[in-house]
Amino acid sequence: MVRPDTIVALATPPGISALAVVRLSGPEAFSMVGRLCPPHPPPQPPPGGPPPGGAGAPPPPHPGPPRVHPHTPRPTLGWAVDPRTGERLDQVMVTAYPAPKSYTGEDVVELSCHGGWLSPQLVVEALLELGGRRAQEGEFTRRAYLNGKLDLLQAEAVLDLIEGRSLALHGRAVHHLERGLSRRLAQVREDLLGLEASLVYHLDFPEEDEPPVPLTEIVAQAKGLEGLLEALAKTAPEGELLREGALVVLAGPPNSGKSSLFNALLGEERAIVTEIPGTTRDALEATVSWGGYPFRLVDTAGLRKSQEVVEQMGIEVAWRYLVRAQAVLLCVEGGVDPEPFLRELRERSGEARLILVRTKRDLWEAGSVPSHGEGPADTGGLPMVPISAHTGEGLAELREILLGLVFGEIRAVAPEFPVLTRRRQAEGVQRALEDLRAFRRALEEGVPPEAATAHLRSAETALEELLGVIPREEVLDRLFRQFCIGK
Amino acid sequence: MRRRYEVVVIGGGHAGVEAAAAAARLGCSTLLVTPDLSRLGQLSCNPAVGGVAKGIVAREVDALGGIMGVATDASRLHFRMLNRSKGPAVWGPRAQCDRGLYPRAVRKALEALPNLDFFQGMASGLRLEKGEGFEVEVRGGVSFEARSLVVATGTFLRGKIHVGAEDGIPAGRAGEPPAVELAEALQAWGLEMGRFKTGTPPRVDGRTVDFGKLAVQPGDPEDFRFSHYARVELPDQRPCWVTWAGEALKKLVAENLHRSALYGGAISGRGPRYCPSIEDKIVRFPDVPRHQVFLEPEGLETEELYVNGLSTSLPADVQQAFLRTLPGLEECRMTKAGYAIEYDYFPPHQLHPTLEVKLIPGLFFAGQINGTTGYEEAAGQGVVAGVNAALRVQGRPPWVLGREQAYIGVLIDDLVTKGVDEPYRLFTSRAEFRLLLRQDNALQRLGPMAEELGLLTRAQTEVLRERVSTLEGVRRWFQGTTFTPPQVNPLLEQAGGQPIQEPARAMELLKRPGVRAEALARIGEAPFPPGQAGDALVAVEVEVKYRGYVERELERVQTLREQAGFSLEPDLPYRDFRTLSFEAREKLARVRPMNLAQAARIPGVSPADLQNLLMEVRRWRRQRLVGAGTSGKQEEG
Repeated sequence: MVRPDTIVALATPPGISALAVVRLSGPEAFSMVGRLCPPHPPPQPPPGGPPPGGAGAPPPPHPGPPRVHPHTPRPTLGWAVDPRTGERLDQVMVTAYPAPKSYTGEDVVELSCHGGWLSPQLVVEALLELGGRRAQEGEFTRRAYLNGKLDLLQAEAVLDLIEGRSLALHGRAVHHLERGLSRRLAQVREDLLGLEASLVYHLDFPEEDEPPVPLTEIVAQAKGLEGLLEALAKTAPEGELLREGALVVLAGPPNSGKSSLFNALLGEERAIVTEIPGTTRDALEATVSWGGYPFRLVDTAGLRKSQEVVEQMGIEVAWRYLVRAQAVLLCVEGGVDPEPFLRELRERSGEARLILVRTKRDLWEAGSVPSHGEGPADTGGLPMVPISAHTGEGLAELREILLGLVFGEIRAVAPEFPVLTRRRQAEGVQRALEDLRAFRRALEEGVPPEAATAHLRSAETALEELLGVIPREEVLDRLFRQFCIGK
Repeated sequence: MRRRYEVVVIGGGHAGVEAAAAAARLGCSTLLVTPDLSRLGQLSCNPAVGGVAKGIVAREVDALGGIMGVATDASRLHFRMLNRSKGPAVWGPRAQCDRGLYPRAVRKALEALPNLDFFQGMASGLRLEKGEGFEVEVRGGVSFEARSLVVATGTFLRGKIHVGAEDGIPAGRAGEPPAVELAEALQAWGLEMGRFKTGTPPRVDGRTVDFGKLAVQPGDPEDFRFSHYARVELPDQRPCWVTWAGEALKKLVAENLHRSALYGGAISGRGPRYCPSIEDKIVRFPDVPRHQVFLEPEGLETEELYVNGLSTSLPADVQQAFLRTLPGLEECRMTKAGYAIEYDYFPPHQLHPTLEVKLIPGLFFAGQINGTTGYEEAAGQGVVAGVNAALRVQGRPPWVLGREQAYIGVLIDDLVTKGVDEPYRLFTSRAEFRLLLRQDNALQRLGPMAEELGLLTRAQTEVLRERVSTLEGVRRWFQGTTFTPPQVNPLLEQAGGQPIQEPARAMELLKRPGVRAEALARIGEAPFPPGQAGDALVAVEVEVKYRGYVERELERVQTLREQAGFSLEPDLPYRDFRTLSFEAREKLARVRPMNLAQAARIPGVSPADLQNLLMEVRRWRRQRLVGAGTSGKQEEG
């Protein structure tokens, strides 16, 4: 029989800190901690005594707190001791969570020791010595999922919480961890089962008192559920941006003030600014958060025909960013015709949304407007912002426009409505949506229900895979709850 | 009287008779032991065979050379094709049968089998023989030896009948003693047991019913046969009648609920939700104003009627009183009280898909003993158990029906994979290949298999060949026949569609909703052999009308077969497979699936678990190769 293992890991980052937490999970967690923190730890060799491993000095009176109680929920203080040498490693606070009421569903112990480079590492190594195995990345959460403590979406939320760098993602992850997304998808799946039960009633019980649910009603209900899934699916492109940040590229002719704007938006001097056109050769990237939403700002080389090799390479780099960008700030000085640049960007930069930024507002004459840009008509309906990196004029407006353009969908979504933050979620919801549409269309086109339910079942499967739920005989359960059946 | 048989079958209900017939057909010396030989294939509850899904099973049993189809044809009093208004994939043929004619037809069919013997008596003891086989003791000091044993005892194991809340009466069926020693003998072998209940409604004297107040439900006039191979003479049809139970009955039941065995606490076993007692209906759906009640003829030569819809465990006086609240039954006299019956069953995860008991090689279970209900479900299991009991004696490889091959396959796979928590009945919704498993193609699906096993007589094989060539002929006719507008337009307009302007191919016209293959064949004066083309016409219509969806199912069959190709050793250490969820490990260890496809169907095993299972099994096999000799026992699956 393979011995089930107990995993150990440092749960906090290594380095200087007041506290560090070492976590264990598995059947041996309690006994290992019992041996790590013996009730009567051997005495500490005197300071300046023989190095570790060479104990031999006379034992001083035993001072430490006597006992660790892994089974009491109350945290207990103890001494962690090196199992080989008997040397004390650190004073630790032991908190035990017996299975199944723990994060992983197994026996879990958390040891709070002193932070820093050594204590936590020594405690971990002592536990490995006692038979623990170093946990792989994410293994605690994986065990929690395998033991049914979290569903898949919650497990992903844990990852989003740990890795997320924006307040917006954090908020959504907390919501998902509370089963906000799981509940909603589970409800849709439940409703799909209800639809299937109605059809099954029609097929399997043709002689009952209650007439079958009319197909028109089933079609109407399917449409309602499609709407729900569509609303969820619509949050996906922006939701995924919450993790990495939306890519916003500053582009335009050389010396149009891109780097100044870049610095102004960041609030620090990151890019070198000179009056010499073509100063920026490479692309510069920085991450900012506005209103809790993450952006990756990229300053690029000015777009022009250049003979110079380094500048040419810089321009190529710029284009590589431009084709992937969520938004492009086309920076053009007041008075310069943006049309040629607009045309090229529209042709080459894919899905990105364009904002026309009229730079160097402080240099224009008071009250004047740039000759190209008298109104929205002139820019073809593009948002246009006059700004001055120097005075800060227009910066707030620009940020607001960017937020609206890139995160408009999810900012408009009510906080209690879930947002899909991962590709897996987006694909699952999309699959369910397409199957549900196929089901509804099949019914509308007169495909017999016994055949059309094939689509319904695929939609259910897509949601089950998203949730990590295992189907049981739920259709029949629904059926017997819904209808009085049987002779 | 012989003492030694290759196969002994205990029980003469629908499972027992099919098991005995199948074993005998495969050439085994077979004995059927039952307490009453005059009740072989007794219709102990509703005298009806078939229905949605169940009708398909009845035809599958017939395609496999079984008894049920012929006996139904020979005794049917009333026939309907349920779901006729829906697609042909879910049509369900159902017949009300003459309760007396059916067992007679069964006995006649069984007595025609050369290898089959009968003995009337109550099996009372079982012993494992040293080496191989069983000794079956029958009350009265007789015993038989069997190499394979099929137990198909229905509701008889420690059966107990309840009418009212008093202590129940030990009985296997009304008026018949239960099998207690047999239950004890099986339990002594270490098998896990459970307890279920089911019920039956009262019967009334038709001479006391005012039919003028009832809605009549005549049978469908068509010449439908359950049997593919035999064409017996059909009795004349008699109508069924419909009435309803309203407020007065609801009130009576509610007032007397405490006197019912179900609600008075006398019954502990779990009953089927789809076959609820009238007590259940009224308690669970108090707002439903009325419940349909069907009055069904019990036989050609009796006026007794079966009151379908009023299954109950209330005392007889309450039953008589509530019957008189039904329109048309105000003056009725009850002839038999309804009752509930509790009985032992053996949770079927203890079985292989051959229906052999995992713990006891050579012992097979079929029918209600496995936690199912229904004649058809029992009969289907009987065939599988009987065939495998015989194959085992003959040293031939076991025979397992897949979910994509038959409803019987769905049934048995559900039983052994998922277990049961209420008496199990088939529904079309239990089958994932609903469009492939139809009543019209049962012979195409299972006939060749039956022939290969040796279940068919030479004459039956002939019929099989004819039917296959008929289907090809029908297909060719639809591809090659063209209709002119005047020929076909009246039919199209009748079906609610647009008339045609140019001549059109029959195959094209058949695509239209509401246009039936049978109607096109009629107006096109197709030259098919009479009485043989019915199934083929439906099959061709299905191929056309469900195009795309049938292919979709076939693709999924392919995936299933691929998964089924990855077999799982019977001794896998599932509990050590730590990359699987806790629940999956427990369930896999309990079921011990034969292959990956079966593992996938175990409730609690997720797609992620399956992927990890694949990896764990590969790792386990590598380790076993490396450390050969250190691994545990290897059981024979």
